[in-house]
Amino acid sequence: MSERTQWNDYEWQLLHEGPQPPELHMALDAVITDEVGAGLRPPTLRIWEWSEPAVIIGRFQSLKNEVDPDGAKRYGVKVVRRVSGGGAMFVEPGNTITYSLSVPQALVQGMTFQQSYEFLDAWVIRALHDLGIKAWYQPLNDIASEIGKIGGAAQARRAGAVLHHVTMSYDIDAEKMVQVLRIGREKLSDKGTTSAKKRVDPLHSQTGLARDVIIERMLQTFRNLATLRPISLSQTTLDKAWSQAREKFSTPEWTAQVP
Amino acid sequence: MHGEYKVPGGKLVVIDLEVQDGALHDVRLSGDFFLEPPEALEVINAALSGLPADADDAHIAATVERALPDDAELFGFSPEAVAVTVRRALA
Repeated sequence: MSERTQWNDYEWQLLHEGPQPPELHMALDAVITDEVGAGLRPPTLRIWEWSEPAVIIGRFQSLKNEVDPDGAKRYGVKVVRRVSGGGAMFVEPGNTITYSLSVPQALVQGMTFQQSYEFLDAWVIRALHDLGIKAWYQPLNDIASEIGKIGGAAQARRAGAVLHHVTMSYDIDAEKMVQVLRIGREKLSDKGTTSAKKRVDPLHSQTGLARDVIIERMLQTFRNLATLRPISLSQTTLDKAWSQAREKFSTPEWTAQVP
Repeated sequence: MHGEYKVPGGKLVVIDLEVQDGALHDVRLSGDFFLEPPEALEVINAALSGLPADADDAHIAATVERALPDDAELFGFSPEAVAVTVRRALA
């Protein structure tokens, strides 16, 4: 059993590329996390930009239970399956803040899953506090505020590394969301609400700040933990990701793997 | 047949299955839970298929528990939650 490492034991890399399609995002999470696991790159924080609307379902979710195909078609929403468990999310360009941490397993060595979720998002909770939002970590995997859910996290463990990614609503179209996602009553049964629309509380309405400003504040908070060096995606990594996007993440076999 | 169970303080567990000659058939587990390694999903499905349709919760949960690889980790659900969901699908 090796020792647990600290945030500032590493020189972190920051990736914040222009808009990319959903299947490429799925592949980048896998490829970058595997590169971290193989020691080919330092831990990486990746901020996502979307080129088109998408529903991203969890690794173990049933495609037909989660997605309304008519609603998805009506709004031109692409449906993809990610490598991590957790619940479906609906995104449109610019209306969420999504990020991925790809970290060596050593950073969360000896922690329970629950501890590692809280640990890897503690800096985001601090950033939200700095922005005047009373946010907290709501087990198992939610970021919550007094007025409602802000976002959710999911993890996948991959050979020597942990992928931890989070989507927070910035300014979500809740009306459209409930037409695209099927959110059953059973799922809401212990949440004290009967409406999925009340479950996401956009950062925009609470802060009045531009999305870029919130992201910049998050990065400042991160830099209190560790060095964070902005880089561009290497051609090698991008090629690998595109090949996985084509051969796996955009195929019906993968998307409907749990039908 | 279809059953859903939201684990209190945990995640949603869903079971779809058929019954043939008094035994569970084509059992499919899904949900917004977390499971490592992900391949354990198919292991659970395979273990549940063939169980007698009148198996009780303890029997179903023990079957799941036994089938899981030693390094499996379940987060947000449990073998007992799978058993509850199977019973709901059969109800």
